[in-house]
Amino acid sequence: MLSGVSVVCFAASYGVALALEITRLLFRSGVRGAVMIGFAGAGLLAHSIFLYHRAVSTQGPPLSSQRDWYLLAAWVLAAIYLYLTCFHRRAAFGVFLLPLVLGLIGAGVWLADPEPFAREPASRMWGTVHGVSILLAVVAILVGFATGLMYLHQAWRLKRKIPPTLGLRLPSLEWLQQANLRAVVISVAMLGLGLLSGIILNLIRRPEALGLGHLPWDDPIVICTWATFVWLLISLLVSAFYRRARQGTRVAYFTLVTFLLLVIALAVGFGLQTEHGGRREAAPSDTSALGILRDVAGEVSRDGAVP
Amino acid sequence: MRLQVVGCSHRNAALELRERLAFSAPQSELALDRLHDDFPEVEAVLLSTCNRVELYTATASAASPDCRQLAEFLASFHALPLDQVAPNLYQHCDQDAVRHLFQVASSLDSMVVGEPQILAQVKAAYHLATERNCCGPLLHAAFQAALKAARRIASETAIQQRRVSIPSVAVADFARQIFERFDDKRTLVIGGGEMAEETLRYLQDEGVHDLTVINRNFERARLLAERWRGRALPWEQLLPALASADVVISTTGAEEPVVRLGQFLEIEPDRSEKPLFILDLAVPRDFQPSIGDRPNVFLYAIDDLQAACQRNRLDRDKEMPAAERIIDQEIERFLADMHQRASGPIIQRLQEGWQKPKEEELRRLLNKLPQLDDHARDEIRQAFDRLVNKLMHPPLDAIRDESRNGIPDTLLEALSRLFRLKD
Repeated sequence: MLSGVSVVCFAASYGVALALEITRLLFRSGVRGAVMIGFAGAGLLAHSIFLYHRAVSTQGPPLSSQRDWYLLAAWVLAAIYLYLTCFHRRAAFGVFLLPLVLGLIGAGVWLADPEPFAREPASRMWGTVHGVSILLAVVAILVGFATGLMYLHQAWRLKRKIPPTLGLRLPSLEWLQQANLRAVVISVAMLGLGLLSGIILNLIRRPEALGLGHLPWDDPIVICTWATFVWLLISLLVSAFYRRARQGTRVAYFTLVTFLLLVIALAVGFGLQTEHGGRREAAPSDTSALGILRDVAGEVSRDGAVP
Repeated sequence: MRLQVVGCSHRNAALELRERLAFSAPQSELALDRLHDDFPEVEAVLLSTCNRVELYTATASAASPDCRQLAEFLASFHALPLDQVAPNLYQHCDQDAVRHLFQVASSLDSMVVGEPQILAQVKAAYHLATERNCCGPLLHAAFQAALKAARRIASETAIQQRRVSIPSVAVADFARQIFERFDDKRTLVIGGGEMAEETLRYLQDEGVHDLTVINRNFERARLLAERWRGRALPWEQLLPALASADVVISTTGAEEPVVRLGQFLEIEPDRSEKPLFILDLAVPRDFQPSIGDRPNVFLYAIDDLQAACQRNRLDRDKEMPAAERIIDQEIERFLADMHQRASGPIIQRLQEGWQKPKEEELRRLLNKLPQLDDHARDEIRQAFDRLVNKLMHPPLDAIRDESRNGIPDTLLEALSRLFRLKD
């Protein structure tokens, strides 16, 4: 019965939670917090069930397509949102985080490749490490982006001596700065691990050894990922050795630029010819929104879910 | 049932009288014990804060101490002449007393409406009365309902979130939005004065303990530092102290700014741009306004805070009708519960009156039918229970309906006579 969960179920739940977050700006309600957490929790549960069914019903390694990767990243970000909302009931995290969750789901459904990545047993372990670490790095960058935006908004308000609006209460600058810095540290660590595992993965798939799945070192996604990593590493090193750079506004701007680099990397993945992730030249298909929806629906049905 | 409150507050009594009538914690214990000895049947809660002294009493019967007796009690406890105390006391009874209690707990009757401390003080008074065995079912119900109403108002309206005093706005709306914690922050007080001390009180509640005081008059600085467990520094140390401070409260009487932009720029490199919250409460200002444009400096002058207070006051006033609506709803609910509770003994006797003949008839029937197995006996027992419940339902329903408008005395009397429900 639970296999009837579709993308629409959890996307709609997150959408309602976001709408409720936005209503914070308009009016007060004693029950909204609980209803919001209820919808976000229901969404996360449906999301978990959906991913579980994808994992157990997909031929080959579980959750190994670009689409799954996006949906998993959205799941981690939604879990972070739920955690933060439960422990900071008055702060409007959802206004900043839920659009990113929905964006990841949208990118996963409409833009990402549903075909599993090409893999061979020798590289399975490194492939998993690569995928998971890059996923966590992306989530950390998105959290850093959201906390960076919150920081800038909060600092702007405080500089202009405006009392906090009841609807858009945010955590203190100190909290946001710490969260921002942690997000940078985690994203550097995860991106570094992702790149290292990527190098090992590529060496295992040497063209002269296997001939298949080898990725050119000048692949656009690889270059963009390296650029993001180098930028993040420089930001972190500057913060470590130059105390002023550790102060909130600068870190917030660092994370905004990092997010921009991430968006470029993802856009490159969707827009340019790349062999990353075993992506192959596909036969022309129906790329209209309806066609893609039909495609997703068909795929979910094959996996046992009712679209 | 009679619920009443006798007392005085900032609304009707001068501070001098409130101070003389106030109860310390040990005095409250003693007073409750004494009241319990004098009026053993009476439930009592004593609420004593800097703005009010109130004695809540309740009795199940109509025999309750009157206002004069309670005034005598308060006056004699503090050894004050009755004619000095009695004219300054107010009395509210029954529904008015309930409304008053709900308004007090929700901070709608406070000097600064929306201040959150009163709820904790009401809770403390209620817990003390419970500990001293002075709280019975009526006051338990009344205080629980009052706390519920206060919680609803706190969560469903913005009354408590809109601070209206300058120090509370400075700390809650600005300082707490900059810093997550204060126990690791350095606070610097330049000058002194009532408002600085009031702000320090709020900051200490937030955890501030590293305090430095600087004054042109070192002796004054030393005295203030001693009072707030901080350290005093000579005036020459102002800039070095500013370089290491996180929170600054400045209230000197200087005619010219005591910190100019040039001076601040000198120490700015030492600060490494760590956030600095400056509360400039002096008129004319102690800090040159352009210092507020420096990165990570959050400078608030008294006019900025007054504007924020005014905005908050207007916002809070808009919330008052919603708060009053909640009070009305909770009073209605509480009174309906109380009225229903008053019908309890009649309902209990009614139930007993039906149960007895049911059991007798059931026993007689089962004795006549010994061949029945356990299953059949259970079925018959359940059928009798259902029958009694169905017969009981209309009168109970009628009591519940009538209880919404008060204790249904006529209906209870009619039921007593119809079903011969005597003690």
